[in-house]
Amino acid sequence: MSLIAPQEGWFQKKVSKDERMWIVISFFVCVFLFVWMVMWHVVGRQNPSNTTYKTNPIEFAQLHDAYVKKNMLGMDNGIPVVKPEPGSDVILMAQMWRWSPVLILKKDEWYNLHISSKDLLHGFSLQPSNMNFQVYPDYDYVLKFKPTQLGEAKILCNEYCGIGHHTMIGKILVIDSDEDLAKYGYDKLSTVRPGDSETNVTEDISGWTEEQLIKGGETVFNLKGCNACHKTDGTALIGPALNKLYGSKVKVNENGKIKEVTVDDDYITTSINEPQKQIVVGFENTAMAQMNLTPNEIKQITAYIKSLK
Amino acid sequence: MFRTCDITGFKVDLKAEKFIRLNAVMAVVSLLMAIVAAILLVFTRYQPVHLLDAEWYYRLTTFHGLNALIYWIVFFEIAGLYFGSTVVLNQKFSSPIMGWIAFVLMVAGLVLSDVMILMGKADVMLTSYVPLKADPIYYLGIILFAVGALIGVGLFFANIVNAKRDRNVGETLPLFTYGLVAAAIIAVITLATGAIIYIPTFLWSLGIIDAVDPAVYKLIWWGLGHSSQQINVSAMVSIWYLTTFLAIGGTSVNERVSRFAFFLYILFICLASAHHLLTDPATSSAWKVWNTSYAMYLAVLASMIHAFAVPSSIESAQRRWGFNKGMFEWLAKAPWSNPAFTSCVLACIGFGFIGGTTGVIFGMEQTNIIVHNTIAIPGHFKGTVVIGTTLTFMGITYYLIPLIFRRKIVAYRLAQIQPWLFFFGIAILSVSMIALGQLGVPRRHWDSTFSGGPFTYTFNPSVDFFWTLMMLGGSLAFIAALIWVLQVVISVFFGPKVNGPEDMQLPISPLAPAAKEHKGFEAPGTLILTFLFLATFAVLFFINWKWLAATWWVK
Repeated sequence: MSLIAPQEGWFQKKVSKDERMWIVISFFVCVFLFVWMVMWHVVGRQNPSNTTYKTNPIEFAQLHDAYVKKNMLGMDNGIPVVKPEPGSDVILMAQMWRWSPVLILKKDEWYNLHISSKDLLHGFSLQPSNMNFQVYPDYDYVLKFKPTQLGEAKILCNEYCGIGHHTMIGKILVIDSDEDLAKYGYDKLSTVRPGDSETNVTEDISGWTEEQLIKGGETVFNLKGCNACHKTDGTALIGPALNKLYGSKVKVNENGKIKEVTVDDDYITTSINEPQKQIVVGFENTAMAQMNLTPNEIKQITAYIKSLK
Repeated sequence: MFRTCDITGFKVDLKAEKFIRLNAVMAVVSLLMAIVAAILLVFTRYQPVHLLDAEWYYRLTTFHGLNALIYWIVFFEIAGLYFGSTVVLNQKFSSPIMGWIAFVLMVAGLVLSDVMILMGKADVMLTSYVPLKADPIYYLGIILFAVGALIGVGLFFANIVNAKRDRNVGETLPLFTYGLVAAAIIAVITLATGAIIYIPTFLWSLGIIDAVDPAVYKLIWWGLGHSSQQINVSAMVSIWYLTTFLAIGGTSVNERVSRFAFFLYILFICLASAHHLLTDPATSSAWKVWNTSYAMYLAVLASMIHAFAVPSSIESAQRRWGFNKGMFEWLAKAPWSNPAFTSCVLACIGFGFIGGTTGVIFGMEQTNIIVHNTIAIPGHFKGTVVIGTTLTFMGITYYLIPLIFRRKIVAYRLAQIQPWLFFFGIAILSVSMIALGQLGVPRRHWDSTFSGGPFTYTFNPSVDFFWTLMMLGGSLAFIAALIWVLQVVISVFFGPKVNGPEDMQLPISPLAPAAKEHKGFEAPGTLILTFLFLATFAVLFFINWKWLAATWWVK
């Protein structure tokens, strides 16, 4: 009697046989589901990890840069490739809008993936296996993975992270042995090696030749993920393309006023250090992130941009 | 000022009636905005059309979420709370001034936040996970809306206390209002949780606070986001009992059981924040398992109890009306020409078979790995909040138009098919989204060809089939929702006036006759249906765990 007071004696009324039967069955289903989740921790092979470390975006980015520099084999589409030792700690960084590095893993071996974000929340979505985990800035989530399927896997981002969200896609290659690398074109990776130049903060680079600076700049460019937004082939998806840029005139928006500036060392430095100050017209809605580069790194990047024809 | 309803005999306070009307109108406006955005989103994700650009896709995703999930539903619920605490109890509205304040705050909140979104200053999705930042005015809008809603809930309690004082309530409340009390209690907990997280976020967006921890934000935000869905569940189930009563004079076969189930909701449903943190760092498995299961599934048990109690109240009443042949004559001879009744039954089926099953399975700690943040998640809540709550609200509106707005329903024949169209539209949409999600397709994603990315990924080719299905289901649901909106608006503003019982298009049934003494089962047909539900659940449960077991090992 949903609109009027219930009948006299409603509180004492016996529960009918079928309703009682249903409630008892339902209760046991509930208990079963609960016990099942607990038991899966004992017998199941897929359980979200309980290991988390507190970190911060700057610290984790440094960790990533150091890890990649030490272990990089080469580049794949502008993203460094790393082949970690089985059982080792692996750094995987999410940032707007790429996963770095590309990983080459061996089937049926364990790896400790440390996953964190440099900026916003991201979603680690491993396909085609279809495993999904949340990635935060400030938290280093340690997931112990054992790949069980050979071949190329992709990491999609499935947490909204800004306008370039759909371009954020990474790669994990699972192989049986090193002979398989040729099958995936990984036997001759592009050859920008970290050893060729150092982008150390303290190092004096004043004596470097232009060529050294350019090579160093390319490393910084790839390592920091500039290539997620800035292409060097003339296409402009999220940020302006960087080839044929140096020395040209561009229209920028400074506090709502449109003016024309020439791209020179000062302009590039300002654009990196204060990305919101002068925004190139047409890209007002895709704000660039604060990259926190050192003056040495900016010098190398500038040389690299200058060299892009 | 009261008028006595010549159809139901209730004393209706004219002030209360005005507030019910105002809030219901705002609900319909919100729904209209939500569905216009929805159809654009469907045709963006349907890759052959790919309608909107990335910016507007994310903008309208935010817009759709906020208007559909918050504004449409909360405005309607406030109207429902006022109805359940005044008209049903023959009670006066406690404070018209506060009623106005609540309403103005809620409308102001809606306008501020919606304008900010459309101006492109809040492309943050409904969830607005920090450090994603929106304009302060966006957060302010939501806070104002929540404060207004909280005042509305307060008025509901005040009305009930007054009704008790004025002896309009005897020993206990009618079941419908009792369920609304459960909804209102959950609403207070939920809205308070919302305040705890939106206020610091608002201050952070103004630059007063340095940072809001992203994991803390997500934990507390979902204390609002998921628990608020349980307001909808309580309100929806209350309306199911109400509709059964109005359409065939049915009542819960055992009111103590039904009320106990509402009580379980209040106790356990607020743990649901964990559903969204199952594959996140920072919380332990022990915490996840306990919370995601609402303390060993006691809130699920409550829903299972209703899953029997609602259909059995129909069956029991129908049998007492004489439809006693076999197992299912009661169902075949049910009043399918009554759109409110049809909506209620279809909502119940959709909510259970699509929303309920996937909700429990996706909400388990480990199986969440294969669906977290995929399009299966919105697929699941299309099955709860759209096919369940929205269809239920649409259905009961067919009673509200003649009884509260005192207008006849224009093109009544259309109203009789509208629930079916909407049900099938959303069911197809929902099931295809769930299938897509299980194939790995992400939610809130503009381009599943990953154009501009360093790599690309091609989903299992069967996704093309499900995308097409989703587009068709979405279109059908859009048309059905549009029919409903137009019909409601035209009826309310231009429909012929209702002058008495003879103008009622939907029948109001007298109470079903008392049962003759009988032994054995009260509702054997319902028991079969609930077993069918359990079997469906078991199959889906098995498929999902089998799938999970085939993925990489992780610990």
